[in-house]
Amino acid sequence: MAERFSPVGEKEVTRAIVTEFTAQFLEYVESDCIIVGGGPAGLMAGRSLARAGKKVLIVERNNYLGGGFWIGGYLLNKVTVRHPGERVLDELDIPYKEVTRGLFVADGPHACSKLIASACDSGVKFANMTVFDDLVLKEDARVAGVVVNWTPISALPREITCVDPVALESSLVIDATGHDAQVVRKLEERGLITTKGFGAMWVERSEDLIIEHTGEVHPGLIVIGMAVSTTYGLPRMGPTFGAMLISGEVGAEIALEKLHESAKVK
Amino acid sequence: MKVRRLNKVLLYDEGTSQALNIEEIAEYLRKKLAKVQVEVRGDPFAFYPSQDKVLDYAKKFASIKIQDSTKRMLSGQEPLYGEIEYEKRRILGKTRAFGILYDGLELQRILWQLILREESSLEFVHIFFNNRLFATWNEYDRRYHARVSLYGIPSIISTTGVVEAPAKPREYYILKQQYEMLGKDILELKDAFQGRFIDYEDERLTEVVKGYAMQAVFYALIGDPFCEDEGCRLYNAHWQEELIFAQLVSEYEFCPRHTGLIEDENGH
Repeated sequence: MAERFSPVGEKEVTRAIVTEFTAQFLEYVESDCIIVGGGPAGLMAGRSLARAGKKVLIVERNNYLGGGFWIGGYLLNKVTVRHPGERVLDELDIPYKEVTRGLFVADGPHACSKLIASACDSGVKFANMTVFDDLVLKEDARVAGVVVNWTPISALPREITCVDPVALESSLVIDATGHDAQVVRKLEERGLITTKGFGAMWVERSEDLIIEHTGEVHPGLIVIGMAVSTTYGLPRMGPTFGAMLISGEVGAEIALEKLHESAKVK
Repeated sequence: MKVRRLNKVLLYDEGTSQALNIEEIAEYLRKKLAKVQVEVRGDPFAFYPSQDKVLDYAKKFASIKIQDSTKRMLSGQEPLYGEIEYEKRRILGKTRAFGILYDGLELQRILWQLILREESSLEFVHIFFNNRLFATWNEYDRRYHARVSLYGIPSIISTTGVVEAPAKPREYYILKQQYEMLGKDILELKDAFQGRFIDYEDERLTEVVKGYAMQAVFYALIGDPFCEDEGCRLYNAHWQEELIFAQLVSEYEFCPRHTGLIEDENGH
């Protein structure tokens, strides 16, 4: 006999969605770390922090997660990483092959979906279709959270959208918004920092420098991935993802140190 | 022509490519300059009692970055915290990662501060080897040009400059542009041009840099580091092909004029 679906009505479906979403939203109104941007760097950082037992929320403006990690250069769905990035591929159990000395290639969909699944398995929660609007700043202009709104709101004309955003608090915020460096830019609008804008493409050197510059850029705000490049005016990176993955890991290590330091003070 | 008397050549390792053997360069200079002492000083920050000044120097290095090669760097740029931290790690020898472009003359001014005052006279030749890429502003075409070396007090020779400053073969750049547009990795391209330019960690690097060290010596001796003879190690190469010829392929090391000057210096 064919399987039959349970006789559940529309209102139960709605109730299940709203209740579960609301419960999670309420819980994550305050967290250890909010990561803005659900691309490879943000997912890696979230995964590492959640595995260390931290409460992490990733804010993603799109419906989908993974950012540009689904595809490599020229819209082709093969993603490349340079050594030592293959270590992360091994850790995530992503199949790959070495194409030339120190250069590895994997299937974009396979790599990206494994990374997303691993972040979810680690306990990261997501607010997708949610757009970063502003920062929460507390004493001494320390970053203490983000102001967000639904993504569709930002697509509507300002004249007819009087929809105020809401604020979420966290001990730390991580900017993983890629070249846009949206969170850092918001600090710049307030005159708290001056970003340098990304430099010319110099693929060979950019990855090392992104890792070297990953870190706290302002009290309470850590910058990772390609946002590092924009913040510091580093050479642009080509279509390789090793630095984004490892920058996420390094950013998480720095975040953990900061969280431990602030826990000691408290 | 006035030839200056030299007392000592001092070599510093301010974070170079791992492929560069400064001891070998020192040995080469000792053979060329029999009457001049050559001393390898190593890390200039370790030699001088300036550890407490690490933050100071890190801020200085971080404030001389060129962001746009078509715009002259403004003095007094305010560096970001992360930029200073990176420079601190470089000074402390915790990283040799590179890729930042610096204003060469400003870099020379900073390194000059590391020279001991009693050794700042013209009879001392200070050569700093590093892997920082630096450029100098050209007022004629109003843009920065990357350099292998900059001569003066001190002289600076960049191992990254050896790779990046002299132009590679024209067809390399045409293919590189295509590779970048296609999202292909330029490592593959490098394999195709292997040997036709000096690359990072190239085993020929030390041999090449010996010639640049001699340019620094000649700058100190006669005020002119260069020679117009394409086969002389003092030739100011603008292409990798010229560099490889002058430093590695040419049948003679120095032209007759510069050979004569070296012999005079050695009292022959």
